[in-house]
Amino acid sequence: MKSLPNYLQSQRKRFALSQEEVGFLLGISGMTKGEKVCRDENFAREPSLQDALAYEAIYGVPVRELFAGRYQQAEQDVATRAKILSFRKLRKTDARKQECIIQLAAKASANPSRE
Amino acid sequence: MIQNKNVRILAIAPLSRGLGYAVMEGPDKLLASGNKAILRDKNAGALAWVNRFIQFYQPNVLVLPNVKAADTRRAARIKTLHRQIVAWADKKKVKVRLVSVTQVRTQLLGDSKATKFAVAQMLAGKFPPELGTRLPPKRRPWMSEDPRMDIFDAVGLAVASWPQQK
Repeated sequence: MKSLPNYLQSQRKRFALSQEEVGFLLGISGMTKGEKVCRDENFAREPSLQDALAYEAIYGVPVRELFAGRYQQAEQDVATRAKILSFRKLRKTDARKQECIIQLAAKASANPSRE
Repeated sequence: MIQNKNVRILAIAPLSRGLGYAVMEGPDKLLASGNKAILRDKNAGALAWVNRFIQFYQPNVLVLPNVKAADTRRAARIKTLHRQIVAWADKKKVKVRLVSVTQVRTQLLGDSKATKFAVAQMLAGKFPPELGTRLPPKRRPWMSEDPRMDIFDAVGLAVASWPQQK
């Protein structure tokens, strides 16, 4: 199952908060604070790192779980690039570096369907 | 019964006022639930909402009430809407599961003659942050059904689709 890009709406409803209130907690000023939260929840806006961390602070859920779909996508992209890097001849081979790249590349072969 | 716990299901309960919906990822994770009141052109409106839900939540399985079960009575309009939703889900390549009212009651309470309110109470207890505040008061004989019961109908369908943990 592919995760949704984010789970902000379900978390907000768990705490019975309104979009306006969450917008206020995020520090968004002006009349459109509810609208910005709405766009985050409907996957129409990518929140900034500051906002993502603020969401984690509000809901008490790690960013990688709040933005599970985005995290899966980023993880997969990194794994694909690590696979390419593992095929390249590196000038200075370091055991730690190779181990790190092999581990990252293994994730790409573990989830080939998401490529 | 859905054996694979790694799927997202969308349960739709088409009713006379509109529809109730619930989205679950696994037997204990209720993602979203609610009801939509549709005033005019109910079937077209309901179908538009179902389409929006399918596009937004991208479910693996769509759960609907079994309107052809022996213990079920539904208006002709709801039966037509049911057929339209099934056809729409087939077009979108979403699997459809039908769950009857008796199955919901037996699965959740172990009693096929349990009341709707007992099922709603059980669900409000199972998901207190999401449903605790949405449980309407018990219906008296002179009262019409509270619109919030649509939510519990949909969540009941969703929960009954998973195998129950003993």
